[in-house]
Amino acid sequence: MKHLQLTVNERRYDALVEPHETLATVLREKLGLTGTKIGCEQGACGACTVQVNGAPLLSCITPALRCQGANILTIEGLASNGALHPLQEKFVEKGAIQCGFCTPGMVMTALAFLQEHPTPTVEQIKEAISGNLCRCTGYKKIIEAIAAAAPLLRGEAEIQPPSAGTTASRDGFRIVGKATPYIDARKKVTGEARYADDYQFKEALHCKFLRSVYPHARIISIDASEAKKIPGVRYVLTGEELPEKFGVLPISRDQTALAIGKVKYIGEIVAAVAADSEEIAAAAVKRIKVQYQPLRPFLTIAESLQPIGEGEEAIHPHCREGKNIHKRASLRFGDQRQGLQQAPHRCRMHFEFEGVSHAFTEPHACTAFCEANGNITLITATQVPHYVHRSLAKVLQMPVDKIRVIKPFLGGGFGGKGDPFAHEIIAAFLAKKLGKPVKVRFSREEVFLTNHGRHPTQMDIELGADPEGKFTVLDADIKIDGGAYGSFGVVTTYYNGVLLQAPYQIDNFGFETCRVYTNKPPSGAMRGHGAVNPRFAMEVLIDELAHQMGMDPCEMRFKNFLPSHTLTVGQLRITSNGVREALQTVMERSQWRERYGKLPFGRGLGVACGFYISGSALPIIWNQYPQTAVQIKVDLDGRVVVYSGASDIGQGSDTMMAQIAAEVLGLDLHNIHVHSADTLMTPVDLGSYSSRVTFMVGNATKMAAENLKQEILNRVADGIGAAVELLEMKNRRIKSSDGKVDLSWNEAVEMATAGRGALVASGYYISPKLGGNFKGAGAGLSPSYSFGAVVAEVQVDPASGRVTVKNLWGAHDCGRALNPLAVEGQLEGSWHMGMGQALSEALKYHQGLIINPGFLDYKIPTSLDIPDFHTHIIESCDPEGPFGAKECGEGALHPAVPAIANAVFDAVGVRITSLPISPEMILKEIRLKEKIEAV
Amino acid sequence: MMNWPDMKDSAQLLYYCPGTVEEALQLAQQYPGNFSYLAGGTDVWVNRRQGNNTANCLIDISHIAELQTVIPTGSTLKIGALIKLDQLKNLPQIREHFPVLIQAAHSVGSPLIRKMGTLGGNILCENRCIYYNQSESWREAVNYCLKSGGEMCIATGGRKACFSEFVSDTAAALISLDAAVEIGDPGGSATLKLEDIYSGDGLRPRRLSKTALIKFILLPLGRKYQVVFKKLRPRNSMDFTSLTAAVSVNNSGRLKIALAGVSPGPVVIESDVHAHPETLVREALKLSKIVDNDVYSRLYRREMIRVFLEESFEALRGTNP
Repeated sequence: MKHLQLTVNERRYDALVEPHETLATVLREKLGLTGTKIGCEQGACGACTVQVNGAPLLSCITPALRCQGANILTIEGLASNGALHPLQEKFVEKGAIQCGFCTPGMVMTALAFLQEHPTPTVEQIKEAISGNLCRCTGYKKIIEAIAAAAPLLRGEAEIQPPSAGTTASRDGFRIVGKATPYIDARKKVTGEARYADDYQFKEALHCKFLRSVYPHARIISIDASEAKKIPGVRYVLTGEELPEKFGVLPISRDQTALAIGKVKYIGEIVAAVAADSEEIAAAAVKRIKVQYQPLRPFLTIAESLQPIGEGEEAIHPHCREGKNIHKRASLRFGDQRQGLQQAPHRCRMHFEFEGVSHAFTEPHACTAFCEANGNITLITATQVPHYVHRSLAKVLQMPVDKIRVIKPFLGGGFGGKGDPFAHEIIAAFLAKKLGKPVKVRFSREEVFLTNHGRHPTQMDIELGADPEGKFTVLDADIKIDGGAYGSFGVVTTYYNGVLLQAPYQIDNFGFETCRVYTNKPPSGAMRGHGAVNPRFAMEVLIDELAHQMGMDPCEMRFKNFLPSHTLTVGQLRITSNGVREALQTVMERSQWRERYGKLPFGRGLGVACGFYISGSALPIIWNQYPQTAVQIKVDLDGRVVVYSGASDIGQGSDTMMAQIAAEVLGLDLHNIHVHSADTLMTPVDLGSYSSRVTFMVGNATKMAAENLKQEILNRVADGIGAAVELLEMKNRRIKSSDGKVDLSWNEAVEMATAGRGALVASGYYISPKLGGNFKGAGAGLSPSYSFGAVVAEVQVDPASGRVTVKNLWGAHDCGRALNPLAVEGQLEGSWHMGMGQALSEALKYHQGLIINPGFLDYKIPTSLDIPDFHTHIIESCDPEGPFGAKECGEGALHPAVPAIANAVFDAVGVRITSLPISPEMILKEIRLKEKIEAV
Repeated sequence: MMNWPDMKDSAQLLYYCPGTVEEALQLAQQYPGNFSYLAGGTDVWVNRRQGNNTANCLIDISHIAELQTVIPTGSTLKIGALIKLDQLKNLPQIREHFPVLIQAAHSVGSPLIRKMGTLGGNILCENRCIYYNQSESWREAVNYCLKSGGEMCIATGGRKACFSEFVSDTAAALISLDAAVEIGDPGGSATLKLEDIYSGDGLRPRRLSKTALIKFILLPLGRKYQVVFKKLRPRNSMDFTSLTAAVSVNNSGRLKIALAGVSPGPVVIESDVHAHPETLVREALKLSKIVDNDVYSRLYRREMIRVFLEESFEALRGTNP
């Protein structure tokens, strides 16, 4: 231990520090300055950036002792006397903050940059932040925020008043439809927001895991005797103590918290150590000896579709057909074979997709603690507290009313924090067993090993059309690689097929999907769940068919779009539908007609469309509870509190609820407080996945607020003796149209609560009954669907095969943009993620082991890799959405991926049918094409 | 799969922060074979965390002022090894005479890495391979490659040689500029051609003694180099190289090629402007030892050597008629 003296944010600190401790650890753990985040521990994400003696520095790879006597500035030191720094102000105002996890590092980097470059160009800004990864925003709004802050830092006065985007109310709304910075953005930009790893508890134990180094092996023995000898080790847990199975879907609960008897992938948890410190736990893990007997691993779809041989063992006992098959799904409407035979034009293609990762910036983390009454509380980075709650009750065999799950601030999810996870169960178990708080935090490598990302996929798909280019028949044969466990896989299996039914009308449609188990980390749900890969296939197929028929691919799409208010062939109910307007918009903005097919060799335009659900109409756990319930309370002080189980994971659901409540009650945003995602305090919500929150929780919030409004108006009417029909709530006042009543909000609340206390109202959302009566009819049902279109412009270097996306025009029908700033952020983030899957992201394996489990080797596009995003919101005003709103968080991703592939075709005339599109594939195809043309 | 050093290691870890080269060398002598110098630390610290660097003594040289200066001495520009990559662009002598070094430095890592990493550190960056730059338990799961103390190279499916890549972008540029390095060692100073410090052996990529440290990088002035620098990587930031090519022509018509990312050491070819381009390309391909241990395939990287060199020759023809 050495004595370290630091000045941090103008305050002197003394700390005893070990040589191996980093500056990030000292700031976070010893000084309690948890605004500085740790995202990768290898200097590849920038979340830990602070300033040391005026220069930005990656604190997670800086030895603390190097900073002896240094003057350090962290995110906590930026605001002054409660006023945000102008750069922070701009991050808030421009919507540059979604989950907020990259924000502190991004702001610190940008600050140092602006100090050095007071009048930067956009290119310089992109360059400056290219060491800071953001997974939410696509960087566009961050770049805008930095550009807007520059003049303020130079001391110039603000030209415009500080309010972004649309300021005027539209359609008579005061709050809804107005570009609104997140209500929690200030907390995120100051480092005040606490994420799961930022919670510190007295006497907390730290838990580390021993993970399997075999893809498939029997566990012969586990010897933890040496580990237990280390002073400070409190417990070594192995699988037998937690035999109860769990899994997000009740129909495929196939996982135990720790491996029992055998391991099924490299990275699976075999033992857990709770110890007094993280270092002790880690040291103890190394001393656990496990004897394995290797079994034949099944690593690819092809291997898992082979019959299991003699002496080999299926991955699970419940595998089907004597192979490692998990689930088959098929639906057929009409006779596809006949339809294809009769189709005058048809096109068949084979597609392959590697798995991709959510790559959220905040690693999984949680802390569990046991209260004096034996109740367990778990603070965890989850998208769905409710499923974690249920899984804990099941595996720990505890009554649900003794468990509380809290979601703190969450650093991105994209589906990757939507399952209940083994580490959450283990932490809760150990906390109960040991009577002390137990903390888990993953390294970035552990995040990758836990995976649950998009399924690797193989697909054969055939499309037929009549001479006019109208689609007559579609048939798809799809195989998906589920990894070692079920996760959301049964849903994925159906979604891969059923979500091909729109946005085009195809009356003869069928598919078959097969999900296999393999000895790899589990696949699960990821942004655009189940539909991204088939959408890619479909849109590329259309592009090819149009090419073969000599038709403009946009024209072909216009001929085939489903109308509004219709049913698809599989009886998905389409209500509002803005797909035509979306495509029209991106065509116009990209000057499609003038430029498509006419650009010089190497430059190209590509188009694609897509659609997605606004939440599943059917819950995955069958019961009569609504899909969500929301409570709203007002007390004497006039404050309105909204209680909801919905998880704000950076998509802005807390802000959405506040906006809706404020709109209905005629209040301002700051009058509304949102308390969410805490299973003790908030009613059940089924979580932030499948793009359900705005539609379902929004509707429930609206209903709750309207009920509260009615209650207040009734009581005011009673109290004053006025006719309730004449009363209205607006601009923080309650007035009657005849002018007799004119109360302030607080006067009205005082009257309404007289003699009965606080008012509480409830709202809920139940999807209407939808769908057909056949098996599988429930898959893909949603009360509403979003639609969108993208045109991408690429430059392909024919010498190297390298693709650069220059422009991306996107239009997305989100029903109504309750918060245009947030909607744009969702769209730009989706396009950025789609671009990653199109060009650079893939989970690569060596014998079942992920080769690129870190942010250096898993290639998320940086700020220097993005195109100019041209963002267009289409508003179709859904009849059932809250104020007409529907989904915008996932659907925009779908068209982005195929639009890029189609642009590559326009640029260099080669059709790439596997993702990611590598320069190597392009070169190979160009060579092949040249050869064929030469012949 | 942990990112934490062993308890025992961390408890024993020693950390020194010498103020002069002499102090640093003295400390190094005290802990032979068991220490690491730490400059920017962007490479060493990550390797420590992954268990590839197990030194139990760190000699942090980042505060040595002497090595943070640039001294023009007659026909040579002497650059302190601890100059940060990001600082190079602010040095007038480099801007004027060796702009390619700024370009090369700018291609390293990310802006944040370049504000921490030093020129000397980049020259000495440890060789990389996807089967090596992984955590302890990852390497255990593949049964440890040769460089991790195992029996054989995983990337080649069993060869008894290490093909980890030499990845220094600035070294490629510096070699093309005929750079030398001044080495400090307890036994005394020495000046070597930069390419001569690399062994070409992936297991021990440098021919320097354990206690040696690079004090200065020496660049010859007055030769009016024209240099084309290219780097292959998937993203425009952050990534280590999959192929770096620096091709120079000096005022006496000498042509020099330096490649990184394609072999355990730099590939260096010296010729003149009249050489047949195809001969040079073939020579480069012959000297490269590319295996499948990178984000791009072996074949693609070989192909890109040709593309990069041909494009470089073309560009140089443009500047040097």
